[in-house]
Amino acid sequence: MQELSSLMTLSGAIAAFQFTDQGELVSHQIAPGAEMDEIALDMLSHVCVANISLASMQARGWEGLTGMNGFYPIEGFTLIGMDWTAVVNGHRGVVLRNDKGDIEAAYAALAG
Amino acid sequence: MIKRLLALDGVMVVVRFRDDGQFVEGYGLLDAQNMQRLARFAHDYKRFTQGNADQFSMFTRLPGWTPPRGWIVRGRTHSACCIGSVACLVANGEVSLNEVMRELDDVSHF
Amino acid sequence: MGLIGDLMGLPGVLAAGEYSYRGDRFSYEGQMTPEMARMASIMCRATHMGVHMECDMLGVFCPGCGLVPSRGWAVRGPDFSVCVMANVFCFADNTAGSMNRILKLMHASLDHASREMI
Repeated sequence: MQELSSLMTLSGAIAAFQFTDQGELVSHQIAPGAEMDEIALDMLSHVCVANISLASMQARGWEGLTGMNGFYPIEGFTLIGMDWTAVVNGHRGVVLRNDKGDIEAAYAALAG
Repeated sequence: MIKRLLALDGVMVVVRFRDDGQFVEGYGLLDAQNMQRLARFAHDYKRFTQGNADQFSMFTRLPGWTPPRGWIVRGRTHSACCIGSVACLVANGEVSLNEVMRELDDVSHF
Repeated sequence: MGLIGDLMGLPGVLAAGEYSYRGDRFSYEGQMTPEMARMASIMCRATHMGVHMECDMLGVFCPGCGLVPSRGWAVRGPDFSVCVMANVFCFADNTAGSMNRILKLMHASLDHASREMI
């Protein structure tokens, strides 16, 4: 939980979450008053895992055909929503407000 | 025409959708709103599967995979099946998937 | 200069382009062969369609939340990243490039674009 707490200190953080290989939500924190809940974060985790899997297939195929390596293994996925952005790296993620969020800082924090 | 799918063991719901994802008709044990959701999901998943099949063909150069004719998503107790623009929900313990896919293939041509 | 030209002007951007939602056209600038750009267009379009579908489903669980509807997505590998918003894609080097600057440009240019995938 300490790790999720530190993610919540990122600028514009709405929620921080941790999930399994299958996308099941393990733990989470949500900023007070945010329109987000455990069920939606579990769904979001599944969306992120599905897209990391899809991108891994694409990276494999791309590198095999073009010889341009450096995409595989996929480390992170970012979902850009209307007003918020979810950044996922490994088994953890953070939801940020688009107007305040710093995606590179999020990746750095998630990698740490 | 698609209603005859319901005569097969284990078939709970059958729906038909348009190319733009709009619900056309549906029969079985599901309320109207969820019938429309199933039609929308089946349409979106069909496009998703087509995208994946296109990429699989592109990366492997293997012929015969695209365009995909249909898909099955199998859960623990229930599955969703689709060919063309007709999709159904089935109970795994009661259904013959071979029979359902044959029948879906047949009705999808009308 | 246009968004593609602006993206190409950012440090670390290898290539940028546009694809049609119908899947029948693409255009690009940068360090790619036409065949690589065609493949990139197919991949980005397929993922974009999938993300759009998934976010519609996500919206059932958090109606009105800021993640839906989706504007775009990005993936990050060890050396390179791909950013996509609407029908615009951008390949960038992680060391020299800045995902913040790429997405900021895309937001500025595309946030008011139509969300209809035509």
